[in-house]
Amino acid sequence: MTDKDQSSADDKTLVRASQQGDMAAFEELVARHRDRIFARAYSMMRNEEEAVDLSQEAWVKGWQRLRQFQGDSSFGTWMTRVVINLCLDQLRKQKRQRTESIEAMDEESGGVERQMPVVTVNPTAGLEREELRQRIDRALGLLSYEHRTVLVLHEFEDMEYKEIARTMGCSIGTVMSRLFYARRKLAVLLADIKNQDLL
Amino acid sequence: MDYDKQLKLQALLDGELPEAEASAVAQWLAQDHEAAALREELRNTRGALAEFEAGIQMPESREFFWSKVQREIERLETPAAKPASAPFSALWRRFLVPASAVAALIIAGVVLNRPDSTGHTPAAEIETALADSGAFTYRDYSAGTTLVWLSYPADTEVADNDEMGTVE
Repeated sequence: MTDKDQSSADDKTLVRASQQGDMAAFEELVARHRDRIFARAYSMMRNEEEAVDLSQEAWVKGWQRLRQFQGDSSFGTWMTRVVINLCLDQLRKQKRQRTESIEAMDEESGGVERQMPVVTVNPTAGLEREELRQRIDRALGLLSYEHRTVLVLHEFEDMEYKEIARTMGCSIGTVMSRLFYARRKLAVLLADIKNQDLL
Repeated sequence: MDYDKQLKLQALLDGELPEAEASAVAQWLAQDHEAAALREELRNTRGALAEFEAGIQMPESREFFWSKVQREIERLETPAAKPASAPFSALWRRFLVPASAVAALIIAGVVLNRPDSTGHTPAAEIETALADSGAFTYRDYSAGTTLVWLSYPADTEVADNDEMGTVE
């Protein structure tokens, strides 16, 4: 397959060629989807260096497991699941190594979100895209990994509750509680960031 | 506000609430202003997140990132390298030590068994313990002397061998 063929070929064609061992075709797939895979890793890890390393690992695993890809979902979706699993493994390792904060324990026990006042004014209304992205970036960084992960899987990966529960190894009820807390906390954090910027 | 109802409100927003329960939650929303405000907050948060990942880009160039991926793939696909062979000097020493011991033994044997001026051979003998070929014993009965020569590998060679043991 020539360079021109590769750039004009669709993902299915490139995947078939890659499955036959065509590394140039695989390179084209990496080029097409690398930003999306990196973005997903970054959303979950909140660390650029780790996100790059895990993206790289995901692509290597993708190549090794390419024969298992049956085309049930799009190649991009399949690859994001690969990187998500790697991120979850990494986050679990990190969690084992650190002591849980009091805040995280409060979050896990539930109920904190019930006392949060409803944010009636949209704190992101009228923001430029880059400004909005930066604020969300800051707010996401203040969530615990469990809450951030549920949010990422639901909002960015469009996973259903039961799929998130299976992926994270918890009950659907826990997923609903974590998602609710994460959204409410995010709204409060975005409002706080807005207020700080106004001062 | 009832927490269970709040979760149901969220499920309605996410399209995960069964039809049978949806109408009850919708009725509650119509009557409760606080519930309606909460729904707006949840919607706003979803809306804010919608475009977040679209602005994130890999900080490394296409070529550089691919070179790292490719190198790792090739490294994993290359069969494991054969263990490194022992350095020539270590092999040479391994041969030289027993060879020199045998040579010294032969020379000693020739010298000691040479008949003296009276035609008698000296009252001396050399033994090699079969159980330990690295040890030689020389006895001179006339002088009442016994010498034991141990020719085990030198420390440096042992160190070399240890190093070789860690090569994968």
